[in-house]
Amino acid sequence: MTSYDVMPATELYQPVNIEDATALAARLGRKGWLLGGGQDTYGWLKDRAKRPDAFIDLTGIDVLKGIRSLPDGGVEIGSMTTITEVAQNPLINEKFTLLSAAAKTVASPQIRNMGTLGGNLCQDTRCWYYRRGLNCYRAGGNICYADSPEGMNREHALFGASRCVAVTPSDTAPALVALEATMLITSASGSRQVAAEDFFVGPATDILNMTALQADEILVSVRIPRKWADATFYHEKVADRNVWDFALVSLCAAFKEDAGQITDARLVAGGVDCVPHRLREVEQAIIGQPRNETTGEAVKVRATSAATTLNYNQFKVPLMQNLVLRALRG
Amino acid sequence: MDLVRVRDDVWGREVLAGVSWDLLWLVLTAAFAIIIAHLLLMAVLNRKARPSAAGKKLARHAGVDRAFHWITAIATIVLLVTGVFPIIGINFPWLTPHWIAGLVLTVAVGLHVVRSLFFQDPLAMWIAPSDLKELAGGDVKTAKYSLAQKGMHLGMAVVVLVVIVTGLVLFLAIDTPWWNRTNSIDEATLGWLFLLHGASTLGLVGLTALHIYFGLRPEKLFYTRSMIKGWISEHEHAAHHDAARWSPEETR
Repeated sequence: MTSYDVMPATELYQPVNIEDATALAARLGRKGWLLGGGQDTYGWLKDRAKRPDAFIDLTGIDVLKGIRSLPDGGVEIGSMTTITEVAQNPLINEKFTLLSAAAKTVASPQIRNMGTLGGNLCQDTRCWYYRRGLNCYRAGGNICYADSPEGMNREHALFGASRCVAVTPSDTAPALVALEATMLITSASGSRQVAAEDFFVGPATDILNMTALQADEILVSVRIPRKWADATFYHEKVADRNVWDFALVSLCAAFKEDAGQITDARLVAGGVDCVPHRLREVEQAIIGQPRNETTGEAVKVRATSAATTLNYNQFKVPLMQNLVLRALRG
Repeated sequence: MDLVRVRDDVWGREVLAGVSWDLLWLVLTAAFAIIIAHLLLMAVLNRKARPSAAGKKLARHAGVDRAFHWITAIATIVLLVTGVFPIIGINFPWLTPHWIAGLVLTVAVGLHVVRSLFFQDPLAMWIAPSDLKELAGGDVKTAKYSLAQKGMHLGMAVVVLVVIVTGLVLFLAIDTPWWNRTNSIDEATLGWLFLLHGASTLGLVGLTALHIYFGLRPEKLFYTRSMIKGWISEHEHAAHHDAARWSPEETR
């Protein structure tokens, strides 16, 4: 596929308030493209694999930036806040280290400086067949090349495949699902809140999009409730490289313990499903158990009991099980 | 407006991808135009008193045939909702209910075909030359089924059979409790399958809209009732049917 040195000519809108941005989004619909730090966007454009009519650059809208305390003790993060800010923010580092730990593993320092939380959450999948611009299911076609007999699918899904086997590339999404965050979404016709767990959608529901955002909607902020503040967290990301790479498997875990026993837990894996993958079986099995190696050994296989492997991603099964073991070993 | 969708395959060759979904709006518009036109026409022309439902009850549909009809109807509605809604942007996990409804339809149609071929008169639904005089209009009394009913059945039979056959092949390409999906069907073949599946879906949308409309027409409601309760009255029979061509038995 030809790659080009210059960007294609495209309209650029740079609204400075959310009202203008939502009006533009409503007017342009699917022909418009919401632009944050551009770290996902520019690759698409440079390769000519996607060609929106217009960009709506959201980085000039101040209300979409920053990290604020919420009255309930939680935190609200604007969608245009950079990943670096999320990783370094004292409030998040004090209460929700799971998120800051996940944010610190996003790509590279340069990309974290430019990339935004909203962009990291809404970025498209990295399936190389799809990114190459092939007409696969996710691109509106009739076939999944990654799941074909000759398909190279080492990075692809263990769970939730429905015609498409792509996985979520976001490092921060599993952390936010584990923290029971809520997404605040707005459009010209009003605002709504969506639980992080429902914000990400798999191919069974919508094979063309990875989030519940409609064409005219903008992600304004992410609200993390106080519920998991100061819980015990575990985060680990396994990738082929330690920087500037997407997760093969990642695990975000939050535990509440009392008298040496786990009283509540959320474990969410990245890189194994089109959405952040809740390990519900594991969560249920460890309630009332101590957080130690014995518990980890006993429950780790439950993490992958529903896994369906592809030709080249069987290694993710023991990898995922070992991450669960390490999370419980503490 | 395009009739079909075409795409480049992995080798860069242009292949069919399926029917153009712009046609969905054309089909819906055409169906509603026919309905509106018929409503207006009947408002002007149809002044006849409707026959009474009282009197002797004559058997029209056996219980098994009524069950088949309503199972097929429910399966078809589920298939259309789960198949068409995502296309118009209403997203939900549609695939599992879609294939389950498809299997129900397949089994129901299979049983219906066996029953109609070997246990009923298969020609009762076939359009005969004698039916064509109904085209001339007037008060033509029919056999058990009118030309319009036979035409609707024939049209439905064609699109349902195409949708079933193509759906069964496409069924291989998704995970089910019985097998894991295959991706060994080449893109050109998939394109044809999706084209036929989509085109028959469009036919099903149009015919279903018309079928529901005519089933709810005041002068046709007794046929709908007969599909629920199994009978028509002797007056309804006398008003619409030729006793020499169809003489049903009395029922309770």
